[in-house]
Amino acid sequence: MSALLEVRGLEVGIGGLPILRGVDMEVRPGEILGVVGETGAGKSMTARSVLDLLPAAATVDFASCTFAGQDFIPPKARQEARGHRIGFVPQRPRGSLNPVFRVGNQLSATLRRLRDMGRREAKDEALDLLRAVRITDPERVYRSFPHELSGGMCQRVCIAIALAGEPDLIIADEPTTGLDVTIQAEILRLLGDLITERHAAGMLITHDLGVVADVCDRVAVMYAGRVVNLGTTTEIYREALHPYANRLVSIATSLDSGGTPREIPGRVPNPGDELAACAFAPRCFRAGPGCFDVEPPRIDRDGQIAFCHHPVNAGEVPR
Amino acid sequence: MTAAADTLAIRDLTKVFRIRTRGFRHADLKAVDDVTLSIAPGRTLAVVGESGSGKTTLARLILRLLEPTEGTVLLEDADITAMEGAELEDVRGRMQIVFQDPYDSLSPWQTVGRTVAEPLLLHEDLTMKQASGRVAEMLERVGLSPEHARRYPHELSGGQAQRVGIARAMVTEPALVVLDEPTSSLDMSVQSQILLLLQSLQEEMDISYLFISHDLSVVRYIAHDLAVMYLGKVVESGPAAEIFASPRHPYTEALLRAAPRPDPSHKTDHVYLVGEQPSALDRAPGCPLYGRCPISEDVCADTPQELVDIGAQHRVACWKRT
Repeated sequence: MSALLEVRGLEVGIGGLPILRGVDMEVRPGEILGVVGETGAGKSMTARSVLDLLPAAATVDFASCTFAGQDFIPPKARQEARGHRIGFVPQRPRGSLNPVFRVGNQLSATLRRLRDMGRREAKDEALDLLRAVRITDPERVYRSFPHELSGGMCQRVCIAIALAGEPDLIIADEPTTGLDVTIQAEILRLLGDLITERHAAGMLITHDLGVVADVCDRVAVMYAGRVVNLGTTTEIYREALHPYANRLVSIATSLDSGGTPREIPGRVPNPGDELAACAFAPRCFRAGPGCFDVEPPRIDRDGQIAFCHHPVNAGEVPR
Repeated sequence: MTAAADTLAIRDLTKVFRIRTRGFRHADLKAVDDVTLSIAPGRTLAVVGESGSGKTTLARLILRLLEPTEGTVLLEDADITAMEGAELEDVRGRMQIVFQDPYDSLSPWQTVGRTVAEPLLLHEDLTMKQASGRVAEMLERVGLSPEHARRYPHELSGGQAQRVGIARAMVTEPALVVLDEPTSSLDMSVQSQILLLLQSLQEEMDISYLFISHDLSVVRYIAHDLAVMYLGKVVESGPAAEIFASPRHPYTEALLRAAPRPDPSHKTDHVYLVGEQPSALDRAPGCPLYGRCPISEDVCADTPQELVDIGAQHRVACWKRT
C-alpha cells in the first residue's frame, strides 16, 4: 500500500546537538499510527518537522519526504499543507487557544482563511464542526471564551479547528495528557471516529501504551532520535522484536495486571550525550559486544521492522 | 475497630473553603466531605479520583498543611489536629511527603546533601556534620551514591531527582509518607524503577504510604487498599484487589472502564458516564454522581449516600449496589 506520508532519513539538529538521527516512518491512508517513546525520543520533533513548525535555530534534513505523492522537502510545501491538508491537535488545548477571543470566532476565522468562506457561511460551518466534535450546546460554546470551558471542552474545540481545513492527515501531539481519565477516553474515541468518518489518517503521539492499544492500527517506537521498532499494534504488543519496545510493553502489561514490573536500568540519553552504535545498548538486557560499535541491522519479521543485532525471538522473554 | 494499631486514622474529616463568587457574595465549597479512612503499618492506601475530587486537599489536611473544618486526624494514636507549637513540629518528622514534580520540589541552590539533611536538622536537632553519615546511608538506600550529596538538582535526571525527594522524605524514618503522584511526571522506564524502590523501602522500614494518583495501572500494582473519591466524598473503599476485581460504585466502574489498557484486544468504554464532572459548588444534595450516573433514579438527587460495608472491609456509597 502506498503511504500517505512517507518520511525517510529525517535528521534534525538544534544548536549543533543531534535531536533526530535518521527517522523513517510512514502513515498509510486510513490508518492511525501511534508514535511512542520517552522524553527526548523525538516524537514531537518528528511531527513538527513535517509541519515545518521547528524552532528557527533548528537544521532539518530529509533523505526523502512525500505527502500524497507530493515532494515535501521544500519548506513551502509543508507550510502550505499545514492546516489545509494536515490538521494539528496540540497537547495543551487551553494554551493553544487565544484567551481574548471567543472560541467561535477563532474557529470561524480559521474557516474564512482556510476555505475562503464569508462571515455567515463560516459561522454555520463552525457550529456544524462543534456538533461534529459532539458538543451538545454548540451555540453556547461558540460564544464562550477559553477560560469558561473545561479542558476536555477546549480540546474538542481544538479538534474542530484541526478539522476546519478538511485535512487528509490529523497529527495529535499527546492530545489527552492532563485530562481526566473519563474525559480522555471520550476524546480518544472522538478522534478515532472522526478520522475514520472523514476518510483521513492519523498520527497520534503519546507516551501511554494504553492509549496506543486503544486507538492505533500500527505503532512506531522511538528511542534517542530514531524509530527502533515499527509494526502493527497487535504484533508489537504480542512480542516486540526490539528489546526496548519489548520491555516497555512488558512493564505496561505487568503494571496493568498488578504484577511486578521488570526494570529498564539507567535512563534515556540527553541530546549531545555520546551514543553507542545502538543507543539502547547500555541499557539493553540482550546487548552483546557488536551492539556498541556496529550499526544495528534492519530486521523484517512478522509484520515488524526493528533495528537490532539481537532481536527478541518469539516466546523467548517470559511474561 | 483496630484503630489503636493503625498508623493513620482519620475520622469525619471535612474541609470547607469559603470562596468569593461574585462581588461580595460567598459560597462554601466542600473540598473534603466527611471522610473516614485508616492505614495500618507497612500498608499502602491509594486515593484515586479525578481533578477536583479533593484528594490533594485530603493529603494536605492529613499533613496539617491545612486546618480541617471538622474531624480528627490521628497519627500513631495522637490527634494532630489539636497539636500546636513544639509538639506539632516534633510530629512532622513522623509524617513526610514526596511531591509530583521532582525538580520543582527541590531547592535549586541547595546541594542534594543539604536537602536530604534538612529534616534531620529540623526534627532531630542534628548539625550538618552529625547528619552527614545518615544522609550518605539514605542516598545509598534510594539507589544514589554518597557522592551525589555534592550535586545540585539541575545536574540530576528526573528519576534521580525523585530519588532525592524520596531520600528527604524517608531520612527521619517516618511512620507515614504521603506520595502525591510520585511517578506521573517520570518516563515509563524510570517509573517502574521508582515504584520498585518505594516498595522495597516500605518493606525495609515498615512505612505506611498514602498514595495519591489518577493512574490506575500504577495503583493496581502498589496499593493494598483503595479509596475512590468523587467531589470530596469517598464513594468506595476497601482492599485494592477486591475493588479492581469487582468494582461496585458506578463511578469506580466508570474509572476502570475508561482507563486505557495496554492490550489491543481490549477497547475502553467511553460513554459510561454522562457529561463532565460539575463544580463541587453545584453538587446535588444527595449522591455526588447524580446527573452523570447511568443507573441513578430520582431519589438519588436528594438522598445522601453513606458508605455501607458489604463484607471484607469493602464499602460502597450507593444504595443500588449494597
